[in-house]
Amino acid sequence: MTRPLQIGLTFIIIQLSFGYLIFPDLIYDITNTAHWELVMCLGIFQLFLIWMYFKGLSYFPQSDVVEVYLKLGRWVTFLYFIPFVINLILIVAFNNRLHTEVIISIFLPRTPYWSILILLFFISAYTATKGIGTILRCSVFISLLVIPLVAFNIFSSTVNFDLHNLSQVWDLPIQSWLDIKFFYLLGLSPFLFLGFITFETNISFRKLIVAWISVILFLLSVVYIPLFIFGQETVVRLSNPFLEAMDSVDISWFSFNRQTVFFGVSLVGLVIFANAVILLMIGHVMEKMFQPRKVRAPHWIIGASVLSFVLAVIVPNKSLNEQYFLWSIGAQSFFMVTTPFIVFIYGFLSKRGVLKYEK
Amino acid sequence: MIGCISIILLSGCWDIKDIDKRALPLVIGISKENNDDYKVTLQIPIPQEDAHLSRTVTGSGETVASVLGQLRTNFEDAIDYSQIRLIVIHKNLAKNQKELKKLIKFLMVSEDIPSRALVSITDDNIENVLSNINKKLGVHASSIYDFFNKGAGWAPEIFSVPIWEVYRSLYSYTKDLAIPVVRSGKDTVLTFEGAAIMKKGILIGRIRPDEGQLVNVFQNKNEKGRIESLGFASIIVTNSSIQNKTSLNNNTPLVTSDLNLKIYILERKAGITNRRIKKELEKVTEKRFYHILKQSQQNHTDIFGFGQQFRQQFSYNELKDWRNEYYPNLKVNFKVTANIE
Repeated sequence: MTRPLQIGLTFIIIQLSFGYLIFPDLIYDITNTAHWELVMCLGIFQLFLIWMYFKGLSYFPQSDVVEVYLKLGRWVTFLYFIPFVINLILIVAFNNRLHTEVIISIFLPRTPYWSILILLFFISAYTATKGIGTILRCSVFISLLVIPLVAFNIFSSTVNFDLHNLSQVWDLPIQSWLDIKFFYLLGLSPFLFLGFITFETNISFRKLIVAWISVILFLLSVVYIPLFIFGQETVVRLSNPFLEAMDSVDISWFSFNRQTVFFGVSLVGLVIFANAVILLMIGHVMEKMFQPRKVRAPHWIIGASVLSFVLAVIVPNKSLNEQYFLWSIGAQSFFMVTTPFIVFIYGFLSKRGVLKYEK
Repeated sequence: MIGCISIILLSGCWDIKDIDKRALPLVIGISKENNDDYKVTLQIPIPQEDAHLSRTVTGSGETVASVLGQLRTNFEDAIDYSQIRLIVIHKNLAKNQKELKKLIKFLMVSEDIPSRALVSITDDNIENVLSNINKKLGVHASSIYDFFNKGAGWAPEIFSVPIWEVYRSLYSYTKDLAIPVVRSGKDTVLTFEGAAIMKKGILIGRIRPDEGQLVNVFQNKNEKGRIESLGFASIIVTNSSIQNKTSLNNNTPLVTSDLNLKIYILERKAGITNRRIKKELEKVTEKRFYHILKQSQQNHTDIFGFGQQFRQQFSYNELKDWRNEYYPNLKVNFKVTANIE
C-alpha cells in the first residue's frame, strides 16, 4: 500500500523540481493568452504517453524498460540507451548548475558556485547509490518538508494578486501548437523513470492519475502566480518570474523577512531528489546493458556524477547554461515520446506473435 | 570521522560576518546633481540601547551600483543592503525618463536590494530628508519607513508603492501608477505631499493627497478614516466600497462605478440637515473624480487603472493601444452614495 504512495510522491517531487524555474518562462514565451489551455494540453499529452508506456510495459510482466529493449536486441539497446544516458548526464549537469545560480541569487551571494555544486552532487549521488528503496522512502520525507512550504508560498502570494492582470482566458493562438518550445515543456515533465521501477514494484495507472492531477494544479499555480501579480507584459521581461513573485510578498513577521529563503531551501531539496532519481536511472541502464561485465550500479552512478560535476563546473555562464539545458531537455523529450511508442508497439506485436505461436 | 567532517565543513564559516559586524541601511536616497554623477545617500540606524540614533552616508559616482560598491568599501562595517525598506528618489532624477527606467530596472534586478522596498519621490534635498530624523526628539531610527506603514484606518491618504509595482508599470498596457511624494517636515520627520503620476517611466503630473486617495479607492483600498471638511460640516468616512461594471459598445468602453461611503458626522454648523451634508459630500467627491478623469484622459494616462477591467474584452494586441485609442473615449458613470451612520 505504501509503495504506490511513495511512487506517486516521487512523481510529484520530480515534476515540482523541473516545474519551478524554466517552465513558466517557456509558457509565457509561447502564448500571451489562455495559458491554462497550454498547460492542460501538455498534461493530457503527457498522460497519454504515460498510459501508452504503462500499457506497453504491461505486456512484459516482471521486466523494466531496459529488459524490454534487450529482448529487441543488444545493439538496439546500445544505440538507443547510450545517447539517452549521455543526455541524462548533461541534464544533471545543467540542471544542477541552473539551480546553483538561483540558490546563489537567493541566499548565498558570496559563496562560489562550485562549493554548492559539490554539495548538490555529493548528496544526490550518495542517495542514488543507496538504491531505489532509499529514494522512495526519501520521497515521503522530502514531500513532508517541501509540500507545506509550496502551499504556504502559494497562499501568501495571494496578497499581491490583481485578478484583472489576466489577459484573455480563452483564445489560445493556434501557432503555439507548432512551437518547438512545446517539446521543451514536455521534456520538463519527466515520467520515464516510472518504467525503471515498475519491475520491483507496481503502481497502477489509475492511482497515478491522482498524482497527475496534483501536478497539473501545481503547474497551473506556477504559471498563474506571476501572471496574477505582474501581468503578461511584465512577466516576459523577468528572468525568474516565479522567484520575483515570491520576492514581492512583504511579510515582515516571517523569519528573515522573506519567504524566498524558504522557497530556495525547498528548491535544494527538490533538485537533490530529482538528480538522485536521474542518477539512479543512469546506474540502472548501464548495469543492465553491461551485465556480463559485473560493474555494479553504484560505480556507474559515481562515474556519471563525477562526469556531470565536471561539466557543470566548466559551463562558463548563466545564459549559456540555460541554453544548453534547454537543448538537452529538448533531446530528452525525443526519448520521452519515442520510448512509450516503441515499448507499446513491440509489446503489442510480440503479444500477437506469441498468440500465433501457441495456435 | 565527525571531527574530520566538521573541520572540513566549518572552515567555510571562517570569514563569516556576524550580524553585529554588519551595517544595515534602511533608507536609500538617490539623486542626480547637475553633473552626470549619481549621488546615493544611506540612512543607517546605529543600534544602541535607549538612543535612537542613525547616521547618513553619502557617495557619488557614475552608476548607482558603483556608488553602492564604493560605500561598501569606505564604510567601517560590512554594509548589507538586504534590509532596505525605502528608496527616496529625487525629482530631478525622476523627471528624466531614461534615467528613471534604468534605475528602476537596476533596483528590480539587483540581488542585494529587495524588490519589496518602497519607492517615493521628493523635491527636497535628499540629505535633508534622510538626516531630518536626527533632529527630532524621540523618533525611532526606522520611522521613515514606519511613516508609510501606519496600518489600516490611521492615515488613509498615505499609500505605498514597492519597486516591483513601479517595474510592472513600466510595461503595463492598461494601468499607470501614482508614486507618493514626500518632503522633510518642520516638526515631523516627513510631510506627505500627494502623488506623482507615472506613465511608462515618465512623470506626467502631480495630484493632491485627497485626489490620490480617490485614485486608490479604485484599487480597492478602503477609505476608512478619511476626514473631509465641507465648509459647514466635517465628516469621517467609516467604511467604503466600490462596484464597477464594464461594457463595450462599438469599441467605446463604458464603466459604471458606484462608490458607497459610510460616514459619521464629526461637527456641523447649526441648522444643517443630514441630507444637505450627504448631498454636498456626494457632489464634492464626484466633481473631484471627473476633474482627475478629464485631465488623465487628455494625458492618455490611465491612472485609475480602468484598462485592467477591459483586459478580457480586448485581445492582447488591442490592449497595446488602450491608452491612446480606447481610453480617451472611455465614459465613466461615477455615482457616490453616502450613508450616515
